[in-house]
This record gives sequence, structure tokens and C-alpha cells, in this order.
Amino acid sequence: MKATPGNGFAPWLADDGPAADTGLAWLDSRRAQARAQVRDQGIPTTKQEAWRYTSLTRLLEQGFTPTAKATTPLEPRDLEPLLVPGLEAYRVVLVNGRFAPGLSDLQHLPAGLRVGGLAQILKSDPDALKDRLNGVAGETQPLFAALNTAGLDDGVVVLLERGAQVERPIELIHLSVGMDEPRVAQPRHIVALEAGAQASLIERYLSLGEALYCTNSVLELSLGRDAVLKHQRIQTESANAFHIAGLYLSLGAGSRYQCINVGLGASWARTDLNVRFTGEHAECDLQGLYLAGDRQLMDFHLDVDHRLPNCSSRENFKGILYGKGRAVFDGRVYVAKDAQRTDAAMSNRNLLLSEGAEVDTKPQLEINADDVKCSHGTTVGQIEPEQLFYLRSRGISAPLARRMLCLGFAGEILDCLTPEALRDQVAEQVGSRLEQAPID
Amino acid sequence: MLSVKGLKANVGDKEILKGLDLEIGRGEVHAIMGPNGSGKSTLAHVLSGREGYTVTGGSVTFEGQDLLDLEPEARAHLGLFLAFQYPVELPGVNNTYFLKAALNAIRKARGEPELDAVSFLRLMKEKLKVLHLDDSLLKRPVNFGFSGGEKKRNEIFQMAILEPKLAILDETDSGLDIDALRIVADGVNALRSPERSVILVTHYQRLLDYIQPDYVHVLAKGQIIRSGGKDLALELEDKGYGWLGAEEAA
Repeated sequence: MKATPGNGFAPWLADDGPAADTGLAWLDSRRAQARAQVRDQGIPTTKQEAWRYTSLTRLLEQGFTPTAKATTPLEPRDLEPLLVPGLEAYRVVLVNGRFAPGLSDLQHLPAGLRVGGLAQILKSDPDALKDRLNGVAGETQPLFAALNTAGLDDGVVVLLERGAQVERPIELIHLSVGMDEPRVAQPRHIVALEAGAQASLIERYLSLGEALYCTNSVLELSLGRDAVLKHQRIQTESANAFHIAGLYLSLGAGSRYQCINVGLGASWARTDLNVRFTGEHAECDLQGLYLAGDRQLMDFHLDVDHRLPNCSSRENFKGILYGKGRAVFDGRVYVAKDAQRTDAAMSNRNLLLSEGAEVDTKPQLEINADDVKCSHGTTVGQIEPEQLFYLRSRGISAPLARRMLCLGFAGEILDCLTPEALRDQVAEQVGSRLEQAPID
Repeated sequence: MLSVKGLKANVGDKEILKGLDLEIGRGEVHAIMGPNGSGKSTLAHVLSGREGYTVTGGSVTFEGQDLLDLEPEARAHLGLFLAFQYPVELPGVNNTYFLKAALNAIRKARGEPELDAVSFLRLMKEKLKVLHLDDSLLKRPVNFGFSGGEKKRNEIFQMAILEPKLAILDETDSGLDIDALRIVADGVNALRSPERSVILVTHYQRLLDYIQPDYVHVLAKGQIIRSGGKDLALELEDKGYGWLGAEEAA
């Protein structure tokens, strides 16, 4: 069956639409190809494995319009309350998906580091992106990545030259501001670290107000030989937002990649992490923490492809669900026949605080090699009455005791966050979310 | 301070406490001894408000208040403290954070100002010193990965910080070797005061070599069948529970 997505994404799918002619032949042809893919694939239904537990109906019912070029004029002081206190970073800010140079802080970039807006670089130096755009995501893309390719307006580019080591984190802030009608922003981020480069990237999705909008982001990331990246992703979108993130990672020989995902916001959030090793002895560590309360869906899909020998991967995701919150964890680790001495461990643990909360968890190992060390485990549990009583017997009220136990459960992931100011800010956000949670 | 009258309690359909009477005055140390299954731990749990027990009769008043009506945290606010037989591990919950939350919850309930971080740290250091404990204890998650002895010491440390009016030590001696037992007993002795009463629940007389009780009670089949001074414990050690017709429960 062929279908076109609901009117939310229709403007990007017309061959004479606003995104059709960018002035770059190679980009136009990739967009045309993406449009064709979306039309051919149609809308996935819950009969398809990748969307089995997550319905697209509500998203596609929305009448989204593309983000206008002119956005609400914001000043640095509007951003101030949203910043991590004391965090010194090279900061690049997007407002409703568009690069906002006035809010960014990209002065004094060290040698070897280039950070900028994608649209700007497509104009001034398109050759720098020609091989990178779709370079990791590939030509054949699933629905939302293809929609992003067809309609990408802007995004962030981070390029780090061979051997460059950046001490300060690079902070990517994606800020959404409510508009008169629901908008879709489709940022495309390109992050590339050449051989031996080292950096830390903080990617934050935030909003001013509780507007309904959709973020459909794609991040393509490649690490060269022996490159090292710590990537922290904090999603605190508006409670009415739709958040879609597709990450495509290519990890070179000897590279080390750590990604800490924290999902707290949005009413409907779907994150796909696709990892491909392109050299041996690379390490990939994916950590995650998600909270889902009433009218909230958190969906994480992991696809870790061990195609080459001697690589290791860790997938450790923890979820706290309350009210009628829903979560999906679908983790797949694939080990090819020749990928000997693969070391992979996947874990998904969930804490359900109410009868109405639900999690669908599906860790899968697909192993075709015979000399590997692989494990997976999943748990779904409640707060232990013994632990609750212990805290209460010390004078701590039942609601605070539950919060302390939830924060203790989350602590393993929160403690991975650096610097401490970021950890503290996120822990406080988790704490205040739990404070509002109607826990039975 | 504590007055237990005709207390009856069930676990499920089974009656464990069958009309228990106990009076504890301020500053007194009482040992409650008895064979396994006599109801010692049930008494400790019912007093502290643990779920899973149904009180079917009798009354418990503490400082003039009906204790059985109160939530566990409200009992702690009044000054009751249970040192657990099996202290619970709380992974990810930092010991310092936990104790500060507990102490400030108790202070708040009593209308006292909460302690700030600096004063609290000072208090902790002071108590660590009194109990000869290592300050690495403060940074670890509550009881998580602790040895048996460390867990029991952490219970005594909590008691030192929270300064209860009545501490119930539920089989605090169980699973401890003689050195650990001495450390725990020294801790309890250091906290003895005319203002603080203690109930020592124990199977063995051994603990009472280190913590001298004012009174000893023998609990059997859900009732106190004999009360006396500390010599009663020695007599029990000599003759066994059978001497009082209080055989081990089947």
C-alpha cells in the first residue's frame, strides 16, 4: 500500500514545493530521492516491527506547517535561564530549527574546530558538506530521516580536524518557541571528528513555553581512527511537543564513543540510535534514562551493528514510568559472522510507579560469530516495599522516600553526566518531574 | 515512655503476639529474649509500623500518644528508631543525603529549624568520631555493598545522628563476629543516656555481656512469660529456654 504522510509533512513532498530548489544540484537530487522514498514507503503501521508499539496516527493528524525563516526575535537574556549554570562551552543555538548567530557563542574557537550553521555553510562552502550530508545516514533512509532529507532547513555542523583536542564542551542548543500555529523543524546536524580528535558534545532540546510543535532531527556523526567523543543528549521539549531524533553513527578503528541520552520532555518522543563500526577495536557506550508520565510516550530504538571484529558496545537504558506513561525500548545488537571477539552487553531496566504505566521492552541479540562475549537483560519492577519502609522508618515521608528511591535508580545514568553542573541540573529536572508525578 | 498493653498481632491468619504487656521508662535498657518464632521480631516490627502485620487487640502508647495509629515516619518523628536485623540496601541513595533528609524531616516535624549542609557535616564528623567509624561511610550508597558488620554499624551511626528517645535494636548481634559485636556494643553504650531508652531484641545472652540491660524479659509464644534483672539472662544462658517451658517453636 502506498500513501502519503498526513498533511503535517505534505509541504515537503511536492516536487514543486518550497524545498525543491536549493541551487545545489547534488542536494536537489538527494532531496528528490528522499521525497520519492517517502512516497514509495508510505506510512509505517504498527504491523511493521520498527513501529509495533508506537502509533504515528496522532503525529500525522497534526496540521504542521514549515518553520518560517523569520523566527521570534530572542535576545541572549531570554536564553539565560535555560543555560547550565557556570557551563563554559562553545555554544551554537538554533531557534525553531534555524541557526541563531546572535544567541550563539562561537568566538575564539580553537584551531582545528569549525562550528557553524548548516544553511550558512551550504551557501558559503557546500563542498565541505557534499560528502558528509547522507554520508553516514546513507541514501536509503527510513521515513523520518527521509523526511528530514527532503525538508531539512538548517542545522549544526561541527568539524574537528585531525588530532585536534578540544577541552571545552561544544554545546548544541535546539530551542523551540511557540508560534501561532504548529510548526515542524527539521534540523540536520553533521558532526565529524577526524583521526585522533577529541571532544565533548552536549546536545540539548528545550522549549520556551508549552507549545505544540514537532522536531524531526537527524544527526550524522563520524569518528575517525582513534577519535574520542563524549556525547550528552538532554531532551526536555515542551510537554505538548513531538520529538523525533535519528542518530547515525560511524565509528572508526580504535575510536571511543560515549552517548548519554536523557529523555524527559515531549508528549511523543522517538529516538533511533544507529551504530556502525567502520574499523576494529572501537568502543561504543550508550547510556539512557527516560521518564514517562501521563500522556507521554518515550520510544528508544537502538541498532548496533557489529560488522567487524574486536569492537565492544554497551547499551544501558533505565526508565521510570508513572501515571499512564508509556515507554518502548527496542534494542538490537547484530554480530556478523566475521565479527569475532565482539564484546556486547545490553540492559534495560524499568521502574513502574503506577498500575496504568506500561513499557514494551525488546532487547535482541543476533549473533552469527562463535567467539564473542554478549549478554542482555531486561527488568520491569516496582519500588521495593522494604526499601520504602526503611526510609519511612527514618522519618522520611512516603512521597519523598519514593522520589529518593527513583533518583537512586536514575543515579547510575545521571552520574555519567559531566560537568557536575549539568549533572545537577538534570538531576533537579528529574526530581521536580517526580515531585509532580501522581504516584499511587 | 512506652506502654504496651495486651498487644495481639497477626501475620496473615496466624496469631503471633497473644496479649503482650511491656512498660519501658525513660533511660531504661530492656532486653527481650526468646527462642526463634516467639514473636520478638514481630514486636519490633509492629512497634515501628511495618506493613504486613494486623493488630487485633491491645494498645501501644508512646509519650502519651497512640502509636498504632501513626505512619512509620510519624513514629520516627516522635523519637522511635528501629535498628534493622537486616538493614536494607539502597543502591544510588547516598548515605549523607539520606541521613540529612531523615534528620531534617524529623526536625521539621518537631518545629525545629532544618540543619544546613555545613552544620550537618560537622554533626556527622562528630558522631563518626564518637563511634570510631571511617568517613568513607558518608560517600557510599546506603548499605549497598556493605559487609554485615558495616551494615550494623551504619544502623548505630544513624541512631547517633537521629538521637531517638527509644531505640529498638532488632537482633543487632546476629551475624556479627566478636570484634564487630564489640564495636556495635560500644556504639550503643556511647549513646546511652538518661533521656534515651533502648530495647534489645536478641536470641543470645552474648550481646548482654557488652550492653548491660536494666531489665530482661523472656518472650515465648507471643507473651512475656518472665521478667527480671540482668541475672535472668545469665540464668537463661545456663539453663536454656526449656527451663521456662518456652521451647523453640516447631
